[in-house]
Amino acid sequence: MFGAHTDAEVVVRHQHTDAVVVGGGSSGSAVAAELIASGRDVVVLDAGEGNEVVAVYAGPLVIVRTPTGIRHVNAREVIIATGAAELQPVCPGNGLRGIYTERAAEVLQGAGVDLGRVVAIGRAPQRVLCTFVPGALVRIEEMEGTDGRVGGVVVAVDDIEQFHACDSVVVVLGLSARDVLNRMATDSSVRAVGAAAERFVLPKCPTGGTVCPCAKVTVEDMEGVWSRGFRELELVKRAALVGTGTCQGGVCLPHVRAFVAERSGEVPEPFTARPAARQLTMAEAGASVHPDPFRRTALHDEHLRLGANMDRFGSWWRPWNYGNHVEEYWAVREAVSLGDVSTLGKMIVTGPDSVELLERLYPTHVADIRPGRSRYVLLLNERGHVFDDGMIVRESDTRFVLTFTSGGAANAEMWVRDWAETWDLDVRIMDRTTSLGAINVTGPLGGELLRRAGVADPPRFLQHRHTDVAGVPCHVMRLSFTGEASWELHHPFDRSVELWRTLLHLGRDLGIKAHGLQALFGLRLEKGHVIVGMDTEMDTTPRRIHHEWAVKMEKPFFLGREALARSAKLPDARRLIALIIEGPAPVEGTPIRSIDSGDVLGHVSSSFLSPLLGKAVMLGWLKRGWSPVEPLMESVVVDGRRAVLAKTPFYDPGGTRARA
Amino acid sequence: MPAPETVYARRIVATPAAIDALAALQASILRVAPDEAIVFGDNPRLVVDDIHAIIEGETGLTSLRFATLEFTAKVRPHIEWELPHARPALAQGLVAAVPCKLWLDDDHVLVICASAVADELAERLR
Repeated sequence: MFGAHTDAEVVVRHQHTDAVVVGGGSSGSAVAAELIASGRDVVVLDAGEGNEVVAVYAGPLVIVRTPTGIRHVNAREVIIATGAAELQPVCPGNGLRGIYTERAAEVLQGAGVDLGRVVAIGRAPQRVLCTFVPGALVRIEEMEGTDGRVGGVVVAVDDIEQFHACDSVVVVLGLSARDVLNRMATDSSVRAVGAAAERFVLPKCPTGGTVCPCAKVTVEDMEGVWSRGFRELELVKRAALVGTGTCQGGVCLPHVRAFVAERSGEVPEPFTARPAARQLTMAEAGASVHPDPFRRTALHDEHLRLGANMDRFGSWWRPWNYGNHVEEYWAVREAVSLGDVSTLGKMIVTGPDSVELLERLYPTHVADIRPGRSRYVLLLNERGHVFDDGMIVRESDTRFVLTFTSGGAANAEMWVRDWAETWDLDVRIMDRTTSLGAINVTGPLGGELLRRAGVADPPRFLQHRHTDVAGVPCHVMRLSFTGEASWELHHPFDRSVELWRTLLHLGRDLGIKAHGLQALFGLRLEKGHVIVGMDTEMDTTPRRIHHEWAVKMEKPFFLGREALARSAKLPDARRLIALIIEGPAPVEGTPIRSIDSGDVLGHVSSSFLSPLLGKAVMLGWLKRGWSPVEPLMESVVVDGRRAVLAKTPFYDPGGTRARA
Repeated sequence: MPAPETVYARRIVATPAAIDALAALQASILRVAPDEAIVFGDNPRLVVDDIHAIIEGETGLTSLRFATLEFTAKVRPHIEWELPHARPALAQGLVAAVPCKLWLDDDHVLVICASAVADELAERLR
């Protein structure tokens, strides 16, 4: 294949220019000359000179295959001057071998290829040795004893069919715009000129044969979808898949438009085309394509050194476990453990309108959070759906630190900035997510570890302060996700390794271990803490996850308030429920079924075999069947086993350990 | 490949007017947004005329310093957008799909990215 690259590495060259002209024929050359004369920088791309344009994307960006690699040409304007193509015949027998357009036959004969007895139909060709047969093309017949070769052609003259024996058929049926690149573009800065822009007369409506050779779609297939009610060009395309092959309608589009025009009485506009217009190798298609990067915390190598099994969560590499998540779990419950929570979203908000901004953004009260204190918060969208959660940490009257989930941080940042801008509030916003490391010190001996690290009086529950920990300046925040006393140490990114190693060293005789996400997910599940994104869905309201306590409807305004007030009056049978089951933890996504009927009632969103309880604990969605007045069923079936509905927290319901 | 180096700087978010004034005084400053600047150096003396300005030490950035020819050979093929022609100049955009800030000087280019993606960037440029 011309220009095809099979090497694993394909070089991509990026280029920027004022204008690209695709096609170096008479129209393209004329336009290029005009543009150059007006002082524009112009790139002319012609397949004959080794520049095959395979795609035009928004931008516009033109993708070109060349013998030496791929070119990505960014231009302010793209002119398509690709001319016109000869129409292919659509009739019974049009898939036989030995059918040529005029140009193809001319090239073959010019190269000395013997085409045998040649019959031309449609119009007499100028430069092909053949016998011209007047009349309308009816069908092309196969030569007996051959495997799909032309044996003759049938034309109709005054409704009388005539058969003409031949070895080859040359069809001269007219032209259609070679406009696939123009149909690919959505930018107004892409235009066609010359024959590529011309509106040629459509061929006669096809009555039989293959319309789309790429997708092997016949006239009969199109008639079938039309009879089923797909009566627009785009619908016929999608239902019959006509025009969805490699050439994107380059061959079939005029015939499909004629088909629709005959039946609807209106000539439809051409359908759009999708890249690529030529077949590419995978190496060519993937050249210069990079996935979004997965971020690494400053402790990445420390995790590897401790034997961590790393996995990707929320655009970060994170330790799933360090070989034994149960040991990590017990370190948290009985001693002290470190977790790398650098991935959490972190943001500073200051300014005279900072309280106003946060009061509007969050469904909780903000003004009454005292400096030095913090509060758990949900983040709701305008529809009242939960899309993130985190903490509001107040440092002064006008300065706050906000935290978000690891996966939701980027979205939350845009959310806060957009609304501050929309409301024209006088605030300053700085995202600190990748600027700071964060280590969670958690476990009943966590306070002792901090004292050894020089923090004589670690902050109490939901309090925070700036202090040095083992010589590293930290913002120490007391909260709890694991159910045990916990302190998040936010610190400069470049001090993470030093802090991590020192804490592990200081806690050696306390039984300190690092814990990964596997243990963390279980620890929080025992506390019934929801992970937004894992235990929530796109339309989860606070009510559905029993978080009404985090929403203060008495506030005159916050994002989502109107929607919540409206939906509060409506019945809603969807709820997040808690379950306990004997045996191993069912995998997330396992259906929750009715114990009576076996009907699917919902699914498991989180599960964990609790080392403490010796049973699996779960959160799951009850999609229907929940009622505020009728007692809920006592048990359901999960994974073929009886699961009992329970209340959260499964562990330390009074929360005394977290506050200890 | 040049060795990645931690950038020691201050990040400042303040009113655009305050950043304007700061930019006029500071030589080693990258204005990355109308209301945000990065001032290089460990402990630069800063006067920011905004009582609500956020001024924070920044050690979460990494820089890679390329000689111009090396930049053209190794980095430029991974940039799909048009670079400014003037020197010196700041440019911001994706390099090998990694968000970066570029400081383009006469004889060298500083590629700056979040340290969290620095290893990934280096691997992609290698």
